[in-house]
Amino acid sequence: MAQTQHDVLPRATHDEAARQDFIQSFKVYLANNVSPGNREVYDQRVKPQFEKEHGRGPKDRHEVRKAMGADPYYQFWSSLQRTSQEMMWDSVSASVDRQLDDLVGKAKSGGQGKTLGSLRLDPSVEVPHYHAKVDIHCQPGGYHTELREDDVAAGAIYDRAVYIYTMGRAGPLNSDMGDSAANFMRRTFPEFKPRAILDMGCTVGHSTLPWVDAYPEAEVHGIDVGAPVLRYAHARAESLGEKVHYSQQNAEKTDFEDESFDLIVSQILIHETSSKAIKRIMDECHRLLRPGGMMVHLETPPYAAMNDEFDEFIMDWDTYNNNEPFWGPSHEIDYRELAGDAGFDRDKVRLELAPSALAEAAGRTGVFQCGDFAGAGEWFLFIAEK
Amino acid sequence: MSRKAKGKRPYFFENPESDKLLAIIMAVAGELSVVRDRLDTVERLLEQKGSLTRADIEDYEPDESVREARHAWREVYLERVLRIVHHELESEKAGESREGYEQAIADLAES
Repeated sequence: MAQTQHDVLPRATHDEAARQDFIQSFKVYLANNVSPGNREVYDQRVKPQFEKEHGRGPKDRHEVRKAMGADPYYQFWSSLQRTSQEMMWDSVSASVDRQLDDLVGKAKSGGQGKTLGSLRLDPSVEVPHYHAKVDIHCQPGGYHTELREDDVAAGAIYDRAVYIYTMGRAGPLNSDMGDSAANFMRRTFPEFKPRAILDMGCTVGHSTLPWVDAYPEAEVHGIDVGAPVLRYAHARAESLGEKVHYSQQNAEKTDFEDESFDLIVSQILIHETSSKAIKRIMDECHRLLRPGGMMVHLETPPYAAMNDEFDEFIMDWDTYNNNEPFWGPSHEIDYRELAGDAGFDRDKVRLELAPSALAEAAGRTGVFQCGDFAGAGEWFLFIAEK
Repeated sequence: MSRKAKGKRPYFFENPESDKLLAIIMAVAGELSVVRDRLDTVERLLEQKGSLTRADIEDYEPDESVREARHAWREVYLERVLRIVHHELESEKAGESREGYEQAIADLAES
């Protein structure tokens, strides 16, 4: 299944496409054929050795990490995994650089004139420290770096790279997360008919558009701190005929009026913030929701939902090795407490595992791992009602 | 734009040069795969049309069955490239050791 073409999706030359295809095959190969060996070496030599030395098994992912760090098989997989990530960004960045003039032009013309949605940029929005410290998931320049007027490079790179990173398993529009969350909400709350929806940390709108489709009557807004991803998101949505109002804002403090929304959503936003920021974002959700309104945040399952310390450790690989510094801490959040502190009724918080909309059980690894986070066919949802 | 992501890179082997060499080898492996896809395109076009131009190659869009065939080729290709990693694990599972091997030498000398 190829990625759905739209006006601003970067085109690839024959060899650029072949290079990206190789990286996709490489990542699939690592996930299917190399990564599972980590469990074997853990069970067969690392854990027994640890038990021999300590008289007990490793008690948490940190002890597993220390023990596995010395294992040559794990070292090999990690080194290949990190390299595949760097090769992915490199191959897409080179392709986008080559055609950037064209993409900037297309985004500009596609986003102007008679449009369905809108774009509102605010240069005074600061890049938060949790995006400035390191480039999240190793994307050079992150979501925010702009090197020219009307830059859309970060968005174009992200759109293409996510497709490669997820190995195509998020669907031709990279929409699996939004689709899964929206399906769950419609199925679980059939009477709930939001009129205004806000998607926080929307980047290029992969997960925003599914909400437009799920609730066609609603006015849908998407916010992000990065201008280049928003320019791209706007042009992408227009090209796909979807109506979204994008604005450059930090979810910790927006300029929307109190009680502006019935539904606030985010998809894999939480792990790319910080412990203080996520508290402020929850406060903001509470302020922006109308009474009876709901928020639903999608993430990968918390460590508490993992089978054992080894699965936690594998899931935690990105924290240390893929520039996701808040990944680990965010997977230990007490969501009831977080929601309760922001004014939501903690007893009514719902923590759910929603089936992946596009999961094809046969093609899945059944292991939570890089690029196949819905590998077990489920997404974690944190839902609260005001 | 810099192609390096901000944030100090982790190295996994005791000697970081091994990580670097592995990164270089995989980049070369990737380029060979690119050339192989290009050759595959050339072969398919020649088979279809008898002659071709560079533009034909650039315009060629592999259909789903070609994409699948190429992915299958890459999977087997990667297996060949990464053979040693899998063999190591197989050896571990079989409980092999160098002591065991030397024992075999000693045994065969006497039996």
